[in-house]
This record gives sequence, C-alpha cells and structure tokens, in this order.
Amino acid sequence: MAWIRFVLMSFALLLAIAPASAQTTGKGPHVRIELIAETERPAPGSELTLAFASTPEPGWHAYWENPGDAGLPARASWTLPEGASAGPLRFPVPQRLIIGGLMNYVYEAPFAPLVTLKVPADAAVGDAFPVRVKLDYLVCTNEICVPEKAELETALTIGDGAVPADRRARFDSWRAALPKPLGTPAKYQIDGKTFRLEIPFPAAASLTGEGYFFPLTDGAIDYAAPQRVVRDGDRIVVEAPSKRPVSKVDGLLAFGSQGFTLSAAPGNVAPASASAGVPSSGWIATALLAFVGAIAGGVILNIMPCVFPILSLKALSLVKAGDQAGNPRGEALAYTGGVVLTCLALGGVLLGLRAGGAAVGWAFQLQDPRVILFLLLLVTGIALNLAGLFELSAPGFANRAAARGNGGAFLTGALAAFVATPCAGPFMATALGAALILPWPAALAVFGGLGLGIALPFLLLGFVPALRRRLPKPGPWMATLRRILSIPMFLTALALAWVLGRQAGVDGMALGLGAALLASFGLWWAGRRQMRGLSRAWLPALPLLLLALAAMALVHPAGVETARAVPAGTEPFSEARLAQLRAEGRPVFAYFTADWCLTCKVNEKGAIETDAVRDAFEKGKVAVLVGDWTNGDPALGRFIEQHNRAGVPLYLWYRPNSAEPEVLPQLLTQAMLQKLAGVNP
Amino acid sequence: MTRWIFAGLAAVCVAGAAPIAAEPGIGAAVPNFRAYDMHGKIVDLSEYRGKTVVLEWNNPGCPFVQKHYQSGNMQKTQAAVVAQGAVWLTINSGAPGKQGHMTGVEAQKFVADQHAKPSAYLLDPQGLIGKGYGAKTTPHMYVIDGNGRLAYNGAIDDKPTADKADIAGARNHVLAALGELRAGKPVSVPESRPYGCTVKYAS
Repeated sequence: MAWIRFVLMSFALLLAIAPASAQTTGKGPHVRIELIAETERPAPGSELTLAFASTPEPGWHAYWENPGDAGLPARASWTLPEGASAGPLRFPVPQRLIIGGLMNYVYEAPFAPLVTLKVPADAAVGDAFPVRVKLDYLVCTNEICVPEKAELETALTIGDGAVPADRRARFDSWRAALPKPLGTPAKYQIDGKTFRLEIPFPAAASLTGEGYFFPLTDGAIDYAAPQRVVRDGDRIVVEAPSKRPVSKVDGLLAFGSQGFTLSAAPGNVAPASASAGVPSSGWIATALLAFVGAIAGGVILNIMPCVFPILSLKALSLVKAGDQAGNPRGEALAYTGGVVLTCLALGGVLLGLRAGGAAVGWAFQLQDPRVILFLLLLVTGIALNLAGLFELSAPGFANRAAARGNGGAFLTGALAAFVATPCAGPFMATALGAALILPWPAALAVFGGLGLGIALPFLLLGFVPALRRRLPKPGPWMATLRRILSIPMFLTALALAWVLGRQAGVDGMALGLGAALLASFGLWWAGRRQMRGLSRAWLPALPLLLLALAAMALVHPAGVETARAVPAGTEPFSEARLAQLRAEGRPVFAYFTADWCLTCKVNEKGAIETDAVRDAFEKGKVAVLVGDWTNGDPALGRFIEQHNRAGVPLYLWYRPNSAEPEVLPQLLTQAMLQKLAGVNP
Repeated sequence: MTRWIFAGLAAVCVAGAAPIAAEPGIGAAVPNFRAYDMHGKIVDLSEYRGKTVVLEWNNPGCPFVQKHYQSGNMQKTQAAVVAQGAVWLTINSGAPGKQGHMTGVEAQKFVADQHAKPSAYLLDPQGLIGKGYGAKTTPHMYVIDGNGRLAYNGAIDDKPTADKADIAGARNHVLAALGELRAGKPVSVPESRPYGCTVKYAS
C-alpha cells in the first residue's frame, strides 16, 4: 500500500512543480542495446568478441565504468554454456558531463562496450552455443535517473569462426574507440593538496585535443575540479586536487577521442617545468596569457610569406591615397574588422567541430587535402598576379579591390586572415592549443586576439599619419616590390604543394600541381587579353579555372600506410607478408610499435635500430616486419590481441619450421636480438 | 503557500568555511549551518552539540532514494537512530524546478505518507549546505559525533544498486558507525563511495 501512496504522491508532486520541470520521460528503455557477436559460428577454443551496441535516447546518458560523482556503472550477469567464460566489459573513451557542479563520466552518443568470451576447446562443431546476459545499468538525463535492465541473448553455433566483412568493419570501428594500454608504468605523488601524476609519453608522439585524466580508482582526486595536463618532454604531467591517499591509481588518459589506459604506483613526481606546454584547464589568467600570446603571434604572422604581400599591398594603397584623399582610419578599421571577423568565424567553426566531438587541431583546414588544393590554387593565383602576369579587375580580390573603399579593405582583411591560417598552425601552436581547451568565450577571445595581432601594424599605419609619412613615396619601385613579393607567395605555393603531397600522396600532389598549372594558363591567357585591351578578357580563362577547381573533387587523403615511413631494412607488417616470408623458410622478427609508446621507442633506439643488430639480422637473413599501431589500425589490433597482448610493445620471433612465434620480453637488448639472429656478439 | 517558498529560499548557511569545496574530512570539525525545516522553523546544527547527528540527502523522485523508502529501510534506520537518542536531519538540496525539490508543505506530505522518522526535514533549495558538505548523491549519508566531528561520509550501505532485493544482504554503514561510536570504538568504515542520483543543485 505504501508504494501506491508514494507513487500517487510523487505524481501530485510532479504536477505541483510541472511548469518548471515538464518533460516527457517516455517509456523505457532509454538506451537501445543490441548484443552482437563478431561471428555467428565461433570456433572451439577460440576467443569470441561480443559488443553491446548501445544508443542512448537523445538527452539521456549512460555511464562509464567509473561513473564519476554519482551514477552507476553497468553490470553484466552471464548465462553461458558449460565451460565458457566472459571477461570484463571493455569501455570506449567516455565524455565528461558536469551537472550542477557534479562530474559525470558518460556516453551521450552511440557507444559499444566489448566483451571477450572464451569458447571451450571441447565444444563440438555444430553444437548450439546460446549466450544470454542480463545487463543492469543506470541511464539519466540532466534531471532524472532511471535504472534499467536489458535481457539480451544471441544464438550461436560452434563452427569455423568465419567473420563476415560487414561485421568485421563494425567491430573494427568499435575496437578503434577503445583506449589503448600504455605499457610503461606511470607514477603519482600527493604533494600537499595536489595529486600529481606522471605518465611516460614520447615527446615526438602527436596528440590532438584536450588532455584529461579519467580515474578508475575512486577517491584519488576531486572529479569535478579542473585538471592541468601538461606535456613536458618525454612525459605528461597531470595535476588535480587530491582527495585522499590511495595505494595505486588506475585510469584513462584521454586526448580528444584518443585514450590510453594506465596504472600508476606511488613515487616522486617533479612538477611540470614552467616552460612546458599550456595548462589544460583554464583560468582567466591562462585565457589572458593566451590572448596576449595570440596578439603577439598575429603581429609576427605579418612578416610570414603568406600574409606579408597582402599587408604590403594594403600599405601601398594607403600611401597611394596619400594624406589628402581617402579615409585611412576607416580603411584601417575595415581591414581590422575583416581580419578579426574571419578569425572569429574560423574559430567558431573549429569550436563547432570541437563541440561535435571531432578531434581536430587548429590546422584542421590543413588536414583536408581539398582545402589545401584550394589554397594552392589561390596562392598560385595571387603569386602570378603579384608577378604581373595579369591584373584583377573583378571586385573583391586582393590589390585592386584593396585600393577602393572600406568594403575592399574589409575583404582584403578577410583574405589575409584566411590565407594566414596555414602559417598559424605551426607558429601559434601554444595559444591555439589553449584556445582548443579553454571554455568557448575564452577560446574565441584567443582567435580574436590572433586577428587583432594580424591587423595591428596596418591599424597603426592608419591611425598614426607620421608612420605613413615615413613610408616611401609611391613610384615605379612599387611595381618592382610587387614583383619581389611574388617570390614568398610562390614559396608558400611550394609549401602547400608539399603538404598536399604528404596528405594525398604523389598522385594527389601531381593532381594539385596540374590544377595549378591549368589555372596559371587560364590566368596568363586572361592577362594577355587584358594587355591587348580586349573586352571580356576573362572569358577563355574561366573554363580553365573551373576545371582546376574541379580537381578538388578528385583529391583524396592517402591511406595511413603511405603516410608512415618504416625504418630502413624493414617492411610494413601484414599477415599475408608474414605468411609469405615464413613459407620461404626465413626467420622473421615482427615488432609492433606506436609513436606514443615510450618503451617501444627506447627498445628501437637502444636495440632494434642499432647497427650491430641490423648487421646481425642481415647476416642471419632475418626479415623484419614493423607494425605501426599509432593510429590504432584495427587489423593490427586484432593480431596483437591474438597474442594475448592488449597493446604494444609486442615482439614476436618466428623461427623457421616452428608453428608458434616466441613472444620476446618487453625490454630488448642488442645481445638478445643478435643471439636470436644466430650471431654471437 | 508563498510563505513556505520564501522560507525555503531563505535557508541560511552560516558555515565558517566557504560553501564550495570545503568538504570536511573524516575527524575534522564540520561546518555549522542553520536552515528552515519543513515547518518554517530554524534548525541550528550547533544546538545538537553533544549528540550524534546523522545527515541524509533526499530527493523523493530519485530511484535510489525510492529503493530505501519503498522498502522501509530508510525509515527503519531513522527510527533506530532516533531511538538511540541521536538526531536525524533529512536535507533536500534540490533547486526549485529540479526533480525532487519540495516546499515545506510538500515535504510534510512526503514525511507523513512515507511514515518517515527524521528529527527534522530541512530545505536547502540553494544547495548551500549540500555544497558545504560536498553532498554528491541522493541518498548521501554523514554521521557527526557529539564533538561536532565528521565520523562517517558515504553511502547508506555497501550494495550500490537500485534493486530493493539487495538491501537484505547489505551492510548498513550508518547503523554500523553509530554502533561503533556508542561502543567507544573507532568507526571501521569511515568513508565509502556514495551512490545514487546527482544532487539536483541549481547549476
């Protein structure tokens, strides 16, 4: 009876406060969960991966294995055929969600925890293999929580373990979302009220996005407090307010969607050196510092080849206008407006993508070869224009438009900012890194600061006539200067072609250069017609320009494999190549590495890539295969898993005529490898 | 009606420490507070000095709170605590408009309907007491000893589920702590991880 009264009363309560919290919770379940096996026909004695493909209803979130300040992790109870056993749930990298000052580690988008099932070796082919599981989990909105249960089952048959291609692809994408184990142990120290964690991580490994440490061990740190994540040489230091002493700390270090699991023991951790990286979690001081840095960086950008010509042309047009005519202040302000607004717009797009969960760095434009190709064409066109091959009479482009009123100045500013972005990536990494991880108003301030910095010299010219008077008088030298300024523009085009080649391979670069050539012909032709004073000078050039732009549709990023080089004397790993080499009866040394794996790098520098070992391998006719797992290639991931390793480093030695490889220890020595190659040191 | 809302909104916290992140540690002196109870009467924590005080964070809409009320477990714990001469303060830190926020009248109805036995039901719609104590979940339990020092902070028991069937085999951390305090022994489990819904603070 009591519960009926309670429900009625809760209902009355709900009505009483309805106006403020009216929301339809709807019928459950609020997470749609599907139990999917990687193969319908698991082989006896094999390991079978199962996925809980989960889709939370919009507005609802499910929890990570450590839910944070509140909430509950999912619990699975299995009903399996005799002899079978299920491992723990392996969760993908979660998101952070702060509600009312309390931290929640959650999934708001579709996600899939994976489980490994051990199939008994004595199972007979053709036997039914029913898998049943009851999943208890909590699902919440920002307002309410509902504990739900899912009774799931899938009927499998013992068979050959064949995996259909479409299912392999789905599982590969889910595997890619799992954090990767960092083999190297981490350590932590509680220093007063600060918890400081040190994670060995190679300085050369690239990381994008905001760093954050998700603790698995409860009670070590205050979840909701901001963390400071700093890259400092070959280590990453995480600082957070400590809560209480613990004997060890497990957790997940995440950068964007990349995640690394780690285990830390107590030890001494030096604070991050003052010069290292930028703090990950911002205060106003950080934002101000980044803002000032962005302005300074913007000023420096003015002398970069990609911006300087445009700026100079603007300056020249002011000189042309002289003191008597025009409105230099208005023009300077319009230019500033153009630069700042474009920077803010780019920043807004970046923040939008960041909010969308895409892991992007500032140079996200540079990560798309189509944008690079577009910039290549644009810069080539500007360079040819500066070189005097043709004149622009159409409104809205660099020099002629710039000489006109404020609208022209605004457009020039916008162009300067857009062209500056590829340069900004490398030069402004620090301030922009901060921009990516600061709260969005502070981040936009940094982008605005960058724009202000770019516009500052021109703003000064506009407002301090004395400076303008110190500028040389206009004359024929301007044409010469303009020609000279085309050189840095051509160099920029060259750099862009190189970037394009890095991204889209030789084919992509050839395509880009061809498109640039085509566009140049068109512009040249138009220039000749202009010189002869023909009307509609642009008519024949237009189709060529359009054709060049159409090349954007054809250029694709090259595969991961082509982008990553392997050391001399080695080949990229593939199972097919391994089988081929073994069929030839050669000993094979296969090693699996990643840029973010410090132990791997130590072994490579200290043993594998030394001359002594290379010689020994050559003498012993040892084939060396390298599997680079930096980007989490799923095919490699499966192979690594098969050898009972969750991650890298993994060193396998295949002797000729031996069925199974020898798994070498995680710390290699030169002598060990020389001996295996049959050469005595 | 409006009187109650105002009374609720005007709940005051005269804690010596800052309201946020001043979470008291085990054995440390707890921050004092004064707040309106569901009858509009001011309750001052310091007046209970000399007695053991249990704090319970409450949100009647939360399934984890419902687990312990619908099963009668919370009421039983309250009755046992009050019978020992200790004080039980149920605190609602839900912000107006959020799930579980209650006015004084609604709280009276809740207490009556549930046959709940708190010494007082306090309204903390601004979340000042909740944040001062670092209350994170509903339920979240605290035990304060007669000297005003924190003796226990955490969950009501060791079975973090919303399933009523789990109560039977669970260790009730609050009753265990009170028993140990009465016997003059140190509290064997002074801290545990609270489980439940987030406290619905105004953001």
